[in-house]
Amino acid sequence: MSTDRMPEQPDPAPGQSLLEKPVDRRRALTVLAGGVAAGAQALGACTPLSATTDEEREIRVLAWREYIKGNYRFMTEAERAETIARLEQLARLRQGVDVTIQSTGAQPGVLFGYAFNISKCKGFRLCIEACINENNLDRAADTQYIRIFEMDEGAVDLEHADATFQHEVPAEGHFYMGTQCFQCADPPCVRVCPVGATWQEPDGITVIDYDWCIGCRYCMAACPYWARRFNWRAPEVPPREVNPNQHYLGNRARKTGVVEKCHFCIHRTRQGRLPACAEACPTGARVFGNLLDPDSEIRWVLANKRVFRLKEDLKTEPRFWYFTD
Amino acid sequence: MSRARDAGAAYLLLAVLATVGCKGHRDVYQEALIPGVGNLALPADSAAAPLDSTREPGTLATVAAAPVEGWTGAGGRSFKVATRTSEEEAGHPRRFGSITLETALRAPPREPSQRPGEWSGTGALTQYPCTSCHLGRKIVMREKRVGDAHQNVQPEHPKQTGALCSTCHAADNVERLVLENGERATLDESYRLCAQCHISQVDGWAHGAHGKRLDGWQGRRVVMVCTDCHDPHNPALQPRIPFRAPHIQRTRVPVR
Repeated sequence: MSTDRMPEQPDPAPGQSLLEKPVDRRRALTVLAGGVAAGAQALGACTPLSATTDEEREIRVLAWREYIKGNYRFMTEAERAETIARLEQLARLRQGVDVTIQSTGAQPGVLFGYAFNISKCKGFRLCIEACINENNLDRAADTQYIRIFEMDEGAVDLEHADATFQHEVPAEGHFYMGTQCFQCADPPCVRVCPVGATWQEPDGITVIDYDWCIGCRYCMAACPYWARRFNWRAPEVPPREVNPNQHYLGNRARKTGVVEKCHFCIHRTRQGRLPACAEACPTGARVFGNLLDPDSEIRWVLANKRVFRLKEDLKTEPRFWYFTD
Repeated sequence: MSRARDAGAAYLLLAVLATVGCKGHRDVYQEALIPGVGNLALPADSAAAPLDSTREPGTLATVAAAPVEGWTGAGGRSFKVATRTSEEEAGHPRRFGSITLETALRAPPREPSQRPGEWSGTGALTQYPCTSCHLGRKIVMREKRVGDAHQNVQPEHPKQTGALCSTCHAADNVERLVLENGERATLDESYRLCAQCHISQVDGWAHGAHGKRLDGWQGRRVVMVCTDCHDPHNPALQPRIPFRAPHIQRTRVPVR
């Protein structure tokens, strides 16, 4: 998937009238919105429904600007900086949290891969706990990206495995297998998105622009691994527990009616750190690294261990391997 | 008995690996794992290894690491094993890394150890310093089984293998490990001791398939050593109650 941005349009020649300018739908909407916002501000003094304080007024203006912005992929650097500044200010006003939203791009020569040792996983679910804290997952609906399935020994059927076990682990006669978004090389979710709100980055992470998603949930239907989650309500995260280290395409605040999923902790991994799940795992069952580096740990695992991928026959080419000791 | 079997397995593996020409493997096996075969080219006593002060503060990268010379990881590169500083424990935001740190951390030394500020297995033994009883009492170390004298030590591993204290600990100093070839190691170098029997585990550890990596996927490789996760006297991970189960709902959640 290309991440090229739309070439910037040259400024119209002086003297050219507004009507002669090449105006796209978005730009027209922006002009219109400016007028609406000005109108709303003018009405502000006498309408009970309008903003009453400076803060509320600022939130409205910022929310308007956010509403009319473009797709992240086609933004210029300046536009990205502007929207990030707005989002950070909105987080400050709405939640009272100082967050830092990155727009860090993919490192050249990096393709992320993940390996999961089913001999080592003991079903402690500490990866899930770390993921919830790291990615500001909705506490009210109990959204979780990772599932740990308790499998019967010798079984490979996830349909009949239990992910809701709540007893002392590891249980006799069982092994544990974790699933999450596998960051497929040929992701069906990307192909079905009607608006281009989800795409694959050069480092292999499939990301979502939460402000471009229309919530049609086609991607959820297309994903053979049930990796995507939908926000039926605005996610609730207590301000005290918000992780301020955020990425535009990762763990920033989501809203009602958008899809989200595991993004290999894009805000951490693009800075060379491990994903939160890999860092939290006390058994060392999770191996993460750069597939393009022949000296990386993950390449050693792929070359020297018995590995398999889930539903390989679908040819989605997941970048997530299971292996045994 | 099991050692003889393991040594046999090692010979077999060595032969196989030599055949396929996997250099990284062969080096590890020849130099480290087979007592009496090849020359053991491990560092004699790396307690005096210099500390690396190039790490940046504020992240897990503040883990100070002692270099493991003569050991090769993936791609034949050398790597480091982690020792933690007490300073970092205090300064690290435990909120996001707490699970990791709970696993990784032990009690910080109450008194400065040999190298101030650095966590070490030896330095952490402040609650019951072994040497307050054991120094110079050779006979106790040689003849007694582990559990006889120490109720708090679960001697599962010695029970299963028939090992004595002096199989792993130096007879004249319990805070030093002793290897098959008579060389000594500090408590921080447990991998040198464990490697003598646990061949496949230490092979995976040296290359990244076993054990826990710290400090990010990029840059220098920093891994935890055997006894960071395993109790040396009872190495199996203990069962526990998992983090809460998910509310799995394949259909929509009712909207308030």
